Amino acid sequence: MKLSENPIFITHKRLVHRLGVLAPVIIAALIGMVLLVGLGESLHNTFSSDPINAGKGFYGWVIGLEMAILILGGFNRIAQTLSEDQKAGLWDSNRLTPLKAQDIVAGYWLAPALREFYMAATLAAFGLLIVLTSGLPLTLWLGTQTLILSTALFLGLAAVLLGMAVQRSHAGVLLLLLLIAGPGSFAGPDRLITNFLLPIYGIGHLFEIAGQGSASDNSIWNPAANIFGLQLHPILITLALQISLGLFIWRILLRKTRNPFQTLLLRWEVIAIFTLLVVTQHGLLWNLWSGNFPAANDVARLAEASQPTGPIDTLLPFAQAGTVLIGIILLALASPQPEHIRVEALRLGFRNLGGVFSRSALPLALLLTAIAAVGLLTQMMFSLAGSFQHLLVAVMNLLEIFLTFVLLLDYCRLRHQRRAIGFLVLWFFVLCIIPLILSALFQNPAAAHFSLLAPGFIALGNMNGMNGTDWPLLYKALGAHLLIDVLIFLGWRQQWNLLLKRAG
Amino acid sequence: MAEPLLVIEHLRVDFPEVVAVNDLSLALAAGDVCGLIGPNGAGKTTTMRAVSGLQEFTRGSVRVDGHELAREPDELKRRLGFMPDFCPTYDRLTTWEFLEHYARAFSVPDRNKRIDDCLQLTWLTDKRDAFCGQLSRGMKQRLVLAKTLLPDPQVLLLDEPASGLDPLGRIELRNILLQLRDAGKVVLISSHILSELSGFCNKAAIMERGRMVQSGTIAELGQQMKRRRMSVKWRTESTLAPAILAAASLKNLQLSPLGAIFDFEGEPDTLDDLLINLITQGVRVCEWRALGDDLEQIFLQSGAKELM
Repeated sequence: MKLSENPIFITHKRLVHRLGVLAPVIIAALIGMVLLVGLGESLHNTFSSDPINAGKGFYGWVIGLEMAILILGGFNRIAQTLSEDQKAGLWDSNRLTPLKAQDIVAGYWLAPALREFYMAATLAAFGLLIVLTSGLPLTLWLGTQTLILSTALFLGLAAVLLGMAVQRSHAGVLLLLLLIAGPGSFAGPDRLITNFLLPIYGIGHLFEIAGQGSASDNSIWNPAANIFGLQLHPILITLALQISLGLFIWRILLRKTRNPFQTLLLRWEVIAIFTLLVVTQHGLLWNLWSGNFPAANDVARLAEASQPTGPIDTLLPFAQAGTVLIGIILLALASPQPEHIRVEALRLGFRNLGGVFSRSALPLALLLTAIAAVGLLTQMMFSLAGSFQHLLVAVMNLLEIFLTFVLLLDYCRLRHQRRAIGFLVLWFFVLCIIPLILSALFQNPAAAHFSLLAPGFIALGNMNGMNGTDWPLLYKALGAHLLIDVLIFLGWRQQWNLLLKRAG
Repeated sequence: MAEPLLVIEHLRVDFPEVVAVNDLSLALAAGDVCGLIGPNGAGKTTTMRAVSGLQEFTRGSVRVDGHELAREPDELKRRLGFMPDFCPTYDRLTTWEFLEHYARAFSVPDRNKRIDDCLQLTWLTDKRDAFCGQLSRGMKQRLVLAKTLLPDPQVLLLDEPASGLDPLGRIELRNILLQLRDAGKVVLISSHILSELSGFCNKAAIMERGRMVQSGTIAELGQQMKRRRMSVKWRTESTLAPAILAAASLKNLQLSPLGAIFDFEGEPDTLDDLLINLITQGVRVCEWRALGDDLEQIFLQSGAKELM
């Protein structure tokens, strides 16, 4: 169905236009004009002004505003529209029509943020004038606008998914996204995947090279991005990542629109997404160690020297943190509700824990750990004799984190039902944060090792002071976490047995 | 007998702590208007949501005109219209635009004329340019009914369609439903107000705690009733009639000079015999009827414990 005939698109376009688009567009135009006049004034009045740098400054404002309006504003608008339609029963009402799932999703994806799109387009036009006036290359405008548009479309799809899944405020998710992307941007602009998923590195790089042909040597945006040593243009990496993940999100949205009773993610989708992200992340880190972790190679030493914000050895713990976070999010999305399994037990007539185990996210937790282990192995494959302990502790810790999460999620859902999320957060606070607080209170660094998150980070982050790593203490911490997992497993089993009895 | 258009077989819906619908079966043929009756929490809305595809069910099947919900959901969507018990509308669209949205979604031929027809059918023609958000609850209810009728579905599921309507609106709704019945549509309708249903329902299905307690045509269900309140009137004063009625061991017998009201318990044949006896004894009977609403009587005697 053409977009111009899509009733969801037409209706939401109507609703956007009814609230008025002229005033926001005029506001955007006024801002654009002020920036253009400001540039003219800057070029005219300051005799020694460098037009390239002045242009970059003013165009930077345009880019910042466009990103705030189209990416953040659009994301919030789409998610909010969908969750409001869900609450009002209009989503169901649309689902009961013969409209195809792709038409419904496309309508919600492209129409609600039209006002933000008009504003961004107006600003982009003024941005073009600024670029041309200041003599900046057109490729800067084309590249940055492509990145902004692709990111808006990518996050727009994510917003549809969020609106479908969550019916509360979405501002928290945006904040979380910025908190994750923020520190990574400067710890290693060309090394962390978040800088490519969001167009941080691409735009930074384009600005850096604009008017110079190549970036200056001491810039943190200078190094050309590469994956496993293969040099690629950052825009290509961003587009490839956004399109690949966008296709997965699109599939999920279509499936959930056709049948909202399925779990959000199929297992193979979880595995594919996790593999894509983990492999890309380790690919971006590859040429720091070239498989010889923890011994840094020339590239790493060069990067270390030019890195104004922190040592290179924080990057692998950053990658580990990202792996933990992505793994937990994917496991949460793929973990079926206990009620779903109970209904399936009723339908198929199984009553044993084996049936529950195979349907739960536990096997997936094992698989994700294996994939993450392969990712880590690429950094240490040529130095395994010396780095085996690092790998072992990091992988064991990852396994324990994933298992703890899956078991606790199920346990809290079974035991506390509607209050499950609150109790899950409480448990994780106890397991991850309390040891850190105790360590700070009693000034005892050993206590920090017993945080659920700690062993992996310590093992991967201490390459410059290997002799200082207290390996026996790390193994004790791993043992303690394993014991906790066993206890949670017993509780998990007991709760499932109770539920399966009721399924009869 | 006509081939059933809507067939529900052994439907079961599970909620975390309760079986909301349990082993429910129902078959309705063209022209059937079936009242779905039951106390709050009986599972009426859940049944309708499951039949329309909005609620996952554990077991069972739903077929509309031979198309099974699980296998051909798109075919089912074209043939089934569901009107929920609340009114989902886009408040900032006009009623005409709202109907146009769904007319496009259902690819309704001759869209503008059909929208105008539906607005007229639901007495909203003068509100065609009013915003949905400005309509009263009753008008919204009519608008959602118009939306449901727009694609001319073969099967209609109406959940409490009269709950927001004024008395006139209810009479008009009844007329629409009679038109739909005459047009050979299947209508499954739930309502708390049984008198609303009795005028046009030819079938009833009584639910309690997720189970179907009784179902069938009104006549069949009426025949199953063990107890009914009756009224009899005769033209001239008679001493015979009170004597015959008194001899029949009727309960709560209330006599007046030209008639009587009583509760009858027993087989319908015995009641027929009583009438024959009155007539053969020379009583000029001019009225002989069951009192109260048929559906109400059926429901009260169905075993449903809690009144709505």
